[in-house]
Amino acid sequence: MLWFLRGIRKGIVTTRYPAARDAWAEQLPSPPRFRSDLLTAELADRLAAACPAGALRHDGGDLVLDLGGCTGCGRCVEVGDGAVAASGEYELASRDRTALLKRIPIRGSE
Amino acid sequence: MSEEQQLAREIQQRGFALFRRSLHIRTFDSGSCAVCESEIRLLSSPYYDLHRLGFFFTPAPRHADLLLVSGPAVRAADTALLKTLEAIPDPRIVVAVGACALGGVFSEDVLVHGRVDAVIPVDVHVPGCPPSPLALLHGLLVAVGRLEDKVRALRFDLRQETTA
Repeated sequence: MLWFLRGIRKGIVTTRYPAARDAWAEQLPSPPRFRSDLLTAELADRLAAACPAGALRHDGGDLVLDLGGCTGCGRCVEVGDGAVAASGEYELASRDRTALLKRIPIRGSE
Repeated sequence: MSEEQQLAREIQQRGFALFRRSLHIRTFDSGSCAVCESEIRLLSSPYYDLHRLGFFFTPAPRHADLLLVSGPAVRAADTALLKTLEAIPDPRIVVAVGACALGGVFSEDVLVHGRVDAVIPVDVHVPGCPPSPLALLHGLLVAVGRLEDKVRALRFDLRQETTA
């Protein structure tokens, strides 16, 4: 019974997800988001080399992010010179594996 | 999508509609580091409380409707994985959980397949390392058709906005 009363006093309740999103969950490790205007071919190569999971690939004029492979480690954010930040997305489940491949156009100039 | 595929998908969806209110989950660890398992276990905690959504864990694959697979599909687990899948009655759903299961962490070699869909067909992919319990809940709700997968509409590139 004690745990029940303690729970009431502290106001800890069951999440309302999926009716309402939990804001705190956006601070969990999450895949990166890129500023394509700051992204250069040279930076894309460095990001692809820094990704330990091989989830980033420099493919021609695009940087390909595989959300399925991303472990949210944040190494690309460190390497990225402000062009990369954590996205905070967690509702990423998909029926289609190819929907998890995101192409980010490289728009920055050297 | 061809007409046959469309039809197959429709029949599949009709089967999945059976699961909208109650569904039993069998988990399968195909060689994961056990962090996915720890997140899956958290689903039963009072905070996430997956029973309120009609999901239940079952230890018996014959009682299960959904197979939740984590890990990079080590080859040593092939037989167990296939037997588990066969023991689950149709219609059944396979959900691959975590970056390992989706082909992120390990590449294919003599010990691992590196991805679950190299061994069995996967219906829903849940990314994350580990996927948080909320991500798992979203994956389960997508699997039973109670939520739409929204990842296709998400953008991971920004042009002018700040990345804050």
